[in-house]
Amino acid sequence: MIRFIDERWADILFRSYQHGSLVIQSLILATLIGVGIAVLVTTYRGLSPAANAISAVGLTIPSFALLGLLLPFTGIGVVPSVIAVTFYAVLPILRNAVVGLQSVDGGIIESARGQGMNAMTIFWRVRLPLAWPVIMTGIRVSAQMSMGVAAIAAYVLGPGLGPYIFTGLSTVGGANALNYAVVGTVGIIVVALLLDALLVLFARLTTSKGIRA
Amino acid sequence: MGRLAAADREDRLLLIGLPILIGVVLIGWIIWRAVADLDDIEARLLTPASVLELTWQHLVIVAVCTVIVVGTAVPMGILLTRGPTRKLSPPIMGLANAGQAAPVIGVIVLLALLLGFGFWVAVLSLTIYAFLPVLANTITGLKGVDRSLVEAARGMGMSDMQVLFRIELPMAVPVILTGVRTALVLLAGAGAFAAFIDAGGLGELIQTGIVMFRYSVLVSGAILVALLALAVEWVGRLVEVYTKPKGLS
Amino acid sequence: MTENHTDTGAQIELIDVVKRYPGQENAAVDDLSLTVPAGETVMFVGPSGCGKTTSLKMINRLIEPTSGQILIDGEDVTTKDATELRRSIGYVIQGGGLMPHMTVAENIGLVPGLLKWEKRRTRDRADELLDMVGLDPSTYRDRYPRELSGGQQQRVGVARGLAADPPVILMDEPFGAVDPITRQRLQDELMNIQAELHKTIVCVTHDIDEAIKLGDRILILKQGGRIAQYDTPEQILSAPSDDFAADFVGSGSKLKQLSLLRVRDLELVRPVTCRVGEDVDEVVARAEEAGEQSVIILDERDRPLEWVFLRTLRRHSTVTDPERELHTVVDHRSTLADALDSMLVSSHGGAMVTEGGRYIGVISYDTVTEHIRSAQNGES
Repeated sequence: MIRFIDERWADILFRSYQHGSLVIQSLILATLIGVGIAVLVTTYRGLSPAANAISAVGLTIPSFALLGLLLPFTGIGVVPSVIAVTFYAVLPILRNAVVGLQSVDGGIIESARGQGMNAMTIFWRVRLPLAWPVIMTGIRVSAQMSMGVAAIAAYVLGPGLGPYIFTGLSTVGGANALNYAVVGTVGIIVVALLLDALLVLFARLTTSKGIRA
Repeated sequence: MGRLAAADREDRLLLIGLPILIGVVLIGWIIWRAVADLDDIEARLLTPASVLELTWQHLVIVAVCTVIVVGTAVPMGILLTRGPTRKLSPPIMGLANAGQAAPVIGVIVLLALLLGFGFWVAVLSLTIYAFLPVLANTITGLKGVDRSLVEAARGMGMSDMQVLFRIELPMAVPVILTGVRTALVLLAGAGAFAAFIDAGGLGELIQTGIVMFRYSVLVSGAILVALLALAVEWVGRLVEVYTKPKGLS
Repeated sequence: MTENHTDTGAQIELIDVVKRYPGQENAAVDDLSLTVPAGETVMFVGPSGCGKTTSLKMINRLIEPTSGQILIDGEDVTTKDATELRRSIGYVIQGGGLMPHMTVAENIGLVPGLLKWEKRRTRDRADELLDMVGLDPSTYRDRYPRELSGGQQQRVGVARGLAADPPVILMDEPFGAVDPITRQRLQDELMNIQAELHKTIVCVTHDIDEAIKLGDRILILKQGGRIAQYDTPEQILSAPSDDFAADFVGSGSKLKQLSLLRVRDLELVRPVTCRVGEDVDEVVARAEEAGEQSVIILDERDRPLEWVFLRTLRRHSTVTDPERELHTVVDHRSTLADALDSMLVSSHGGAMVTEGGRYIGVISYDTVTEHIRSAQNGES
C-alpha cells in the first residue's frame, strides 16, 4: 500500500486537487444560483412551497440516474460532471437560503426601512448577513453531497479521484485493485473533510460576531 | 382527506404532484418502449419481463436494507439517548458524520473487493450508507421531546419503558420517519450501484447502456431508477402525514 | 396506597432530609425536617435556588434524597418502588405538562390507565374531573392540548393530578404560566376543590400572594433548603421570624393584610337578580322598585352570567344569556386583594361572589374600603 501511494504520489495529489476543484467551482456556481432563486422565492412568497417541493424532487433523483440522463446530451467528459454536481449542490443551498431569508425578523426589516434603506441596501446589509449562517450550513451539506456525486461522475470519465475506485473495480483480482479502491475512497473522504474545515473557517470569518453561535 | 388538508403546502404539492409526475413519465416511457425502433440488444434488455425482474431485484435490495437499517439504527438511537451509553453519543455521531463523507460507490467497491461480490455485500454497504440519517433523526427526535413532559410522565408513575414507548417515541415519530424516508430515497438511488458488484437491480440497465453505448437502455435505466426513488419519496411522505400523532401540529 | 376513594389526605413527614449534588460544595437541601399535616395545603416559597423544588421532587422521588427520611402516612417512601409510589401521588406542573399527542381524556386517564382501571371507569372519572375543574366534558374530552387555552390546559393538568384520587398532591408552580386574571380563577377553583376533597397538597410557588391565599401553612426557605419560617399565613404576616422572612413577605404593607381577609368575612349585599328567559319589563320593574340601575343574570344552576345595566337589558324583551367571559366574579374564599382586582374591571363598583360556582351575593367596593379604614383606625 505504501509503495502504491509512493509511486503515484504526484498523480494522487493532482487528482485530489481536481476533485476538490470540481466541487468548489460547482459550489460557487450553485451558491449564486441557489441564493438567486431564493431571493426570487422569498420576494414572491407564494413560490416558496413550490421551490421546496422542486428541491425535494430534485434531491430524490439519484445522481447516477441524472448522469445517465445527461449523457446523451452532453457527451462524455467534464461538462456532465459539472452540470450534475452543480444541480445537486443547488438544492440544499436553495432550501436553506429560503429558510434563512424568510426567518429574518420582520421587525428588523421594518426598522431598516424606517431608517431609509432601500430594498437593495436592506438585502445586502440586513437580510443576507442575517441569513448567512443558515446559507453556509446549506453550502456545507452541498459540499459533502457533491464529493460523492463527483465520484460517481467519474464513471462517465470526469476528472478527480473517482476513476481510482472504478479502476479498482475493473481490475478485481489484480494486485493493485484494493489499493486503487482504498486510495480513491479514502482520498475523497480526506478532501471532503478538508473542504468542510475550510468552509467552517470561511463561515466563521464571514459571519457577524453578533450572531455567531 | 382531512389529513391532507392539514399537511403543509409543500407536502400537499408533493403528495398530489408526485403521482402525476411519476404516472406521466412512466406512461410516456411505456409508449416509447412500444413504438421505438430498437436493435436486438436493446430489445432483449428492455423486454417487460427483464425490466420487471430488475425492478423486483431493486426493490428487494431497498426493502432488505431498510428493514436492517430501521431495526438497528432506531434501537441504537434509543440507547444513545439514555443511561450510561449516552456518553458515547458525541463520538459515535462524530464518527458517523465523518463516515458520511465517504462516497457510497467507494464503500461498495471496497467491501466487494474485501468480501466478494453479490447481493449481501451490496446490502451491507447500502445499509452502512443509509444508517446515519435514521440514527441522527432518532437521536434528534428523542432529544427534541420536552424534558418537562418526560419528568411529568415519570412524576405520574410511568416506568422508564412506559415513558419511552408512550411519551418519547410517539412524539419523536415524525422526526424519525423523516429520517427513514431520507434513508429510503438514498437507498432507492444508491441501489443502482448494486449492479456494479453483480447484485442486480435497475442499475444494470444504466451500466450496460454505458458499456455498450446504447443510450436508449441507459436512459431507460436512469428514468426507471428516478421513478422508483420518486415513488419511494411519495410513499414516505404519505406515511409521514398519516402517522403523525394527531395532537402534534 | 390503594385506588379506593380516600376522603382525606395523608400526613407527610420530612426528617433530616439532605440533598447533595456531586461536585457541589453546598448541599441543595441541608437537613430539612418538616411535617405537613394530613388534609392541609402547604406552600413552599423562597428565592430561586433555595431548594423548594428539590424538596418537592424528593417527596415523589423524582430526586432521590442523599440522606434522611420521608414518610407518607408513616411509610418511608424509599421502601416502595419509585414508579408505584408516584402513581399514588398526584403531580401537577407549570403549564399543565399535558402530553401533546394525547387527548384531554387520555391525559387525565394516564394514571388510572397505569393502575389498570377498567376503561369505562377511567372514562367516567375523566368526565367527572373535567366537570369539577369547570370544563364541559362533551366539549373538551376529545380535544388535543393545543386546542385549549393556557388556563384550560392548566385546569386539565390539575384534573390529571387528581385522577386516581391520590391522598397527596404535589404542585410545582402550577399557575405560573397563565395571566393574572386566569390565575386568580384557577386559584379559586383549586380552593373549592380542596374544600371538598381535603387532600394533602404541597405546592411550590414564587408568588407570596398565591402562598398566602392558598396555603394553610407557608414554608419560607432560605438558600440550601434551611427553614426561615414555617407557619400559618396570619403568623407569617404579622410576626415574621427574622429579617429574611420579613423581606420576603414584604411586611409592613397594610395591603398584604388584604390577602388574609376573605370575601366571606365581609358582609355581602344582594342586588336584584333575574334568570334567563324572564320578561324584561317585569325585571326592570322589580329593579326600579328596589331603586337599582342594574341586575344580575343567573343561569338555571344559579351561576352568574352577567351584571347588566337596565338600559342594556331593555334591548331585548326577554332576558338572554350574554355569553360573555366574566371577569368580575370571585369565590367567597377569595382574598380581598383578589376582590379589589376584580372590582377594578367592574363598572358596578363591586364583584359578584360565588360559592362552589353558585351566586351568593355581591361584595361592594364601599364595603371593602370601609373595612380597611376601620381596621386602620382600630390599629392607630
